[in-house]
Amino acid sequence: MEASILEDLKSCIIQGRRDDTVRFTKEAMEQGLQGIEIIQKGLIPGIRAVGELFGSGEYYLPELLVSGKSMQAALEVIEPVLSKAGQSFSVGNFLIGTVKGDIHDIGKNIVIMMLKGNGWNVTDLGVDVPPEKFCSAIQEGNHDVFGISTLLTVTMPAAAQTIQALREAGLRDRVKIMIGGAPVTQEFADKIGADQYAKDAWEAVQKAQRLLDQSR
Amino acid sequence: MTMTGVERILKALNREEPDTVPHMELGVDGKVREALLPGASYKDFVETMGLDGNVIFDKVASWSYEAVDESKRIFRDQWGALVQYGSETIGHPIEPAIKRERDLDRYAPPDPDEQWRYRSLKSWLRRFKGDRAVIAHVTDVFDIARESLLGDVAYYEAMIENPELIDRVNEIVLRYNLRSIKNQIELGADALAITGDFAMTNGPMVSPKHTARFLIPALKEQVALAHSLKVPVFKHTDGNVTRILDMLVETGIDGLHPIDPMAGMDLGEVKRRYGKRLCLMGNINCGATLSWKSTEEVRQEVKEAIRKAGYGGGYICMSSNSIHSGVKPDNYAAMVRAIRELGKYPLQLNAFP
Repeated sequence: MEASILEDLKSCIIQGRRDDTVRFTKEAMEQGLQGIEIIQKGLIPGIRAVGELFGSGEYYLPELLVSGKSMQAALEVIEPVLSKAGQSFSVGNFLIGTVKGDIHDIGKNIVIMMLKGNGWNVTDLGVDVPPEKFCSAIQEGNHDVFGISTLLTVTMPAAAQTIQALREAGLRDRVKIMIGGAPVTQEFADKIGADQYAKDAWEAVQKAQRLLDQSR
Repeated sequence: MTMTGVERILKALNREEPDTVPHMELGVDGKVREALLPGASYKDFVETMGLDGNVIFDKVASWSYEAVDESKRIFRDQWGALVQYGSETIGHPIEPAIKRERDLDRYAPPDPDEQWRYRSLKSWLRRFKGDRAVIAHVTDVFDIARESLLGDVAYYEAMIENPELIDRVNEIVLRYNLRSIKNQIELGADALAITGDFAMTNGPMVSPKHTARFLIPALKEQVALAHSLKVPVFKHTDGNVTRILDMLVETGIDGLHPIDPMAGMDLGEVKRRYGKRLCLMGNINCGATLSWKSTEEVRQEVKEAIRKAGYGGGYICMSSNSIHSGVKPDNYAAMVRAIRELGKYPLQLNAFP
């Protein structure tokens, strides 16, 4: 019974059936399954499968968004119960923002959705973020990975300036740095001293996990 | 005999050989223009640099905006969306017009027949008609309906969960665009450009099934209208369109821009597969080559592009998007020189298969 409802949840996430996801999540909890178990054995396998389907070109942005929303809806059901029990579920802390001069956010928002769906606690500083704001967030917070988004060729130098500002503030080694955005390449990431480049939301999730594993 | 710019562009769009590979851009940023020709107007720049045509971009020339917060450079566009301006000429949508489906019941679209919208087009026609291609423009239905009307996330979700809503918003924009296209062509525009990305670096934004269902029909209708009014059409879309290229060709478009090298599109391969049916446009990398490489590297890239796509005509050498504010002015000048030097037909690049 347990296995079957967790399988159903996984399918619901893959198919982006939000209402069913919420219904089965509630049912699973009523059956006595622990929130963490539902997340780890039902929801996360579902969203991982979605990520893989996106990575292999079978899923596109609409499918990714609808599945991500289903995942979030399920987490909203589970989280209050977890926090009541003094539990939480988070694989790591991710800080993200779009660099100064750049006001694009769709790519960043999709990355955030996928990260949250995969259990990350995400702090979003928004768009047009100056280097000093990133620095103080890293200074004050406890972030494992810092993701820089730049959608425009003209704002790519701002990514380099952000990393330079972290170096000057002595904060560079506090976080692993990832970078993404249409004009960015691995070559550029290496040049400016980022740890990883991710070409899309799913690759961002996979590489963030790898960076986290390396640093622990 | 030397051809005029408009003759070159029209020949190329018709997959024929002009006297030389034509050149134009979707836009040249003011900073780049100012660096190359201080004080020159856009029209003087086009003439002095020898561009063969110019696209009269709708978001700049014929859309209306009202200021919402000037200190933050936030405006409301004519569709009701809030847009914010950053470093580029075109604003970025930050809040869509339609927040709930019922907002559509009392939604009043902009009026494409307002005559002020065509002032810019008319002034370009007065200056260049018969000499350089003056190109009408609409932003594609998918782009406006998604960005200005519903917002990205709501649009993508509705494609799966509420397709009728997509049909409704698409129809609103399509009606406007068809009217705008007709008006622009009747005033004398030589060709039509339809911009709006269908793809990202990795591939199409939406599945081929959704592309066929929601994106292609509107594009096809706009192309058919322009063709019925006897002007050719080119479609611009960044990204890797390989998976939907057949569908794009089937809409009847005459040209495709920019065969995005940053998304791994191979100009030579597209020429081999589609060169008989499509004029290829663009491909000079404005992210890397034009922005930070040397003028010699620019020249080599132009040479390579002409070698791959120039044979038999049907190629317009342009940047891979536009001459944005990050392009090195000297690199753009080098690109224009190289096209003029290397693009003369018959081509001397030992390139023909």
